Amino acid sequence: MINLFSVAGVILFACCIVLILFAWSARRSSIISTWILFNAGVALWGLAAFIIGSTSNVVISSIWWRIAHLGIIFIPVFLVHNIVLICDFKKREILLKLIYGQAIFFLFTLFTPFFLGPLKSFKGFFYLTPKILYFPFFFIWISLVAFSLVILFQKTQTSQGLKGNQVRYLFWALLLGFTGGITNFFPVFNINVYPFGNLFISLYCLTVTYAIFKYRLLDISLLITRTTIFFIVYAFVLGIPFFMAFGLRGKLVELFGYEWWLVPLATSTVLATTGPFIYVYFQNRAEDRLLQEQRRYQATLRQASAGMGKIKDLKRLVTLIVHIMTRTVRVEYSMVFLNDIHAKKFRLGAYRSRQVRMKFRSDIDHETALVRVLQETQSPIVYDEIKQRTQDFGDLKLARLEAELKAIDAALVIPSFIDEKLVAILVMGAKVSGKIYSSDDLSVFSILANQSALAIENAQFYDEMKSTHVQLLKAEKMATIGTLADGLSHQINNRLHAMGFIAGDALDTLKLGHNLPMSLEVKEMILDLEHALNRIESNVQQGGEIVQGLLKYTRKDDGSIQDVALDKLIEAALEMTQFKIKPGEMSINHEYPSDLPKIRGNFTQLQEVFFNLIDNAYDAMMQRKAELKEANYTPTIKIIASGSINGHLNVLVEDNGMGIQEQDKEKIFTPFFTTKLSSKKGTGLGLYVIQRLIEENHSGTVVYESKYQQGTKVHLTLPAA
Amino acid sequence: MIAKLESLERELDMPKLLIVDDEIDIREFAKSYFRKRHIEVYTASGGVEALEIIAQEKPDLVLLDVRMEEMNGVDVLKKLRESGNNTKVVMVTGVKEESTIQEAERLGVTGFIHKPLILDELEKIVLKELKSNS
Repeated sequence: MINLFSVAGVILFACCIVLILFAWSARRSSIISTWILFNAGVALWGLAAFIIGSTSNVVISSIWWRIAHLGIIFIPVFLVHNIVLICDFKKREILLKLIYGQAIFFLFTLFTPFFLGPLKSFKGFFYLTPKILYFPFFFIWISLVAFSLVILFQKTQTSQGLKGNQVRYLFWALLLGFTGGITNFFPVFNINVYPFGNLFISLYCLTVTYAIFKYRLLDISLLITRTTIFFIVYAFVLGIPFFMAFGLRGKLVELFGYEWWLVPLATSTVLATTGPFIYVYFQNRAEDRLLQEQRRYQATLRQASAGMGKIKDLKRLVTLIVHIMTRTVRVEYSMVFLNDIHAKKFRLGAYRSRQVRMKFRSDIDHETALVRVLQETQSPIVYDEIKQRTQDFGDLKLARLEAELKAIDAALVIPSFIDEKLVAILVMGAKVSGKIYSSDDLSVFSILANQSALAIENAQFYDEMKSTHVQLLKAEKMATIGTLADGLSHQINNRLHAMGFIAGDALDTLKLGHNLPMSLEVKEMILDLEHALNRIESNVQQGGEIVQGLLKYTRKDDGSIQDVALDKLIEAALEMTQFKIKPGEMSINHEYPSDLPKIRGNFTQLQEVFFNLIDNAYDAMMQRKAELKEANYTPTIKIIASGSINGHLNVLVEDNGMGIQEQDKEKIFTPFFTTKLSSKKGTGLGLYVIQRLIEENHSGTVVYESKYQQGTKVHLTLPAA
Repeated sequence: MIAKLESLERELDMPKLLIVDDEIDIREFAKSYFRKRHIEVYTASGGVEALEIIAQEKPDLVLLDVRMEEMNGVDVLKKLRESGNNTKVVMVTGVKEESTIQEAERLGVTGFIHKPLILDELEKIVLKELKSNS
């Protein structure tokens, strides 16, 4: 015989089996195991209820009531076990021993006459009657359920993020389920209420199943709203025709005669057709209300995504992205990392934080678990989820990822892909509201991220093109200047050469005439002329030196590479400066270890580099001395060097000279730009040549920092031998 | 007549210097300078002319400019050596020209002098070379 009790039983059984299968497919942990056992208990009760409800045989019923209690006894036991694990309840050892003890005790009494009495007829099937031991059993049963719900409820108050969400689901599901479950006890204690509650237990199953499907990312309030709307709408959709068919049958026959059944049929057809629309309508209205905030920023993000493609300046673009993220979504912070293929790193492109201080500002290496997981999954990473999975499964790779995310305080990481290429990584902190990131959020962020990827690539391409263009122009200019300088210097040199000859010969002629008889005035005049011609000769020589010096930079030398000791190099460079720098004019401090590795490079070029650096430092210090006229000023150059782990040598040349003025900082590497006052002092090629020699010929780097009126530091990295 | 012969004889005894340069000023003033030192100076404004003079007059020393319009100094030197002539040659180079110097050294040159040059220094070099000749 079919009745509500048996139908609810079979539905419950089916639901629990589905739940068990879900849990079975997950990886095993003590939480999952106790969860499976708990559901097995409920399933057993469902199956027993189905058979009890449908049989009219008192013996079968009696047997199945005992089988049912196998499940019933263990339902709260496994539940408590599961909940204390989830809530990480302390001192659970003793508690669990006691609980399992009482379960085993009642299991034995189940087969004594002190637990269950003879069955009674109830609403068309047989229901149990309690004996003396059933009362303490029931008391303990209720207490254990209540205990589980209480600690779970406490947990909902203290948990945040994903874990909090999960716990809330579980709490509401269990509350619903047990509220229903309790009704099964009513007939036992002669309370005349039909045990309809098994349907509610199924509802609990549905809730939890849904949570497993979308478990991470759905607001609990949303789920409850949806379920409620669903039940109300379908109560009407199914209830109205049902009521017509059974309650109003007499009236309908009166009105429509033999075709009365067409009315409920038509009504049910209409309602069944409109039902989903009504449901969707109410659901949308409810969700609009509930998700007002989320909808608002999602719309903003979509608009922003569309506008991003127009921005060509990379820096501005990434700044805008983090700005949008932090402002519209209200997150603690957000950062954008851009791929730097050469450095095998994702470099921090921009960040924005609600706090002034940022904990984390370095780059993300390509070899991190984070980058690898992003490459693999190509989908967003939610920290809470990773944390949960790490705890559940104890996976080493996950643990590493979790640690990395924790280190940067990331709540959400979104990859920015173009095809298979990871262009950028967006990292976000927790929402200020403390809410979790929903799956809707993730899909909108992913759209934003992918739009960003396109825009970022565009901007990068644009940047690259611009700098290539500038470089081309510069190279062209330099080539022209080089050719020009070459030809020009030859011509000037030849003129100087000829002038030297002319002056020399004239001087010679005058000297040969010394012995000729002449007046004193003429003699004096000749001496004056000789003096003038001497001056011409010495000017010719100086001119020649300037031309030589200038041409040194446009020419290539042999380029041989050898191991060069830094102190030899500096010695040689100082030798070059000795014509200009008088001893005692400045002091030079060397600070480097005796076991400093040698530099792998070209001696002449490196000598040129250090000569120029020292020469520049000297000029800057002399300028400071002349302009600031400080009382205790001692011009000092410091040369500090150290080897580094990655096969490079770091050399710092520091002076306490005049420093570089802000407006000149951009230009100091530009050829022919000089701040040195007299043209005799500078060609404007020094730093340009240094940069070229170091970066192009030695694959090193040259970076400088300077404070006006305080001094300049030049950092070099050079390859070590 | 006799005086003329004497001066001719003296001239035959005089060391011979050939200056090859495409700059007229250099030729004029160098010639004037060395003449005063009783050196017979020939000048050539280019490679072809220089080779002719060397063949005819057999100078003791050639001052050869490297960078010239018509034929460069190294080529002149090469042609000279190819014809089996081992006349002393001092190359006059402009700004340091490594490759030129190497090539010229291979072809056997007595020395190099760098522009711009002061005549006193040139005199020392020339006199030294001419002296070592006789």
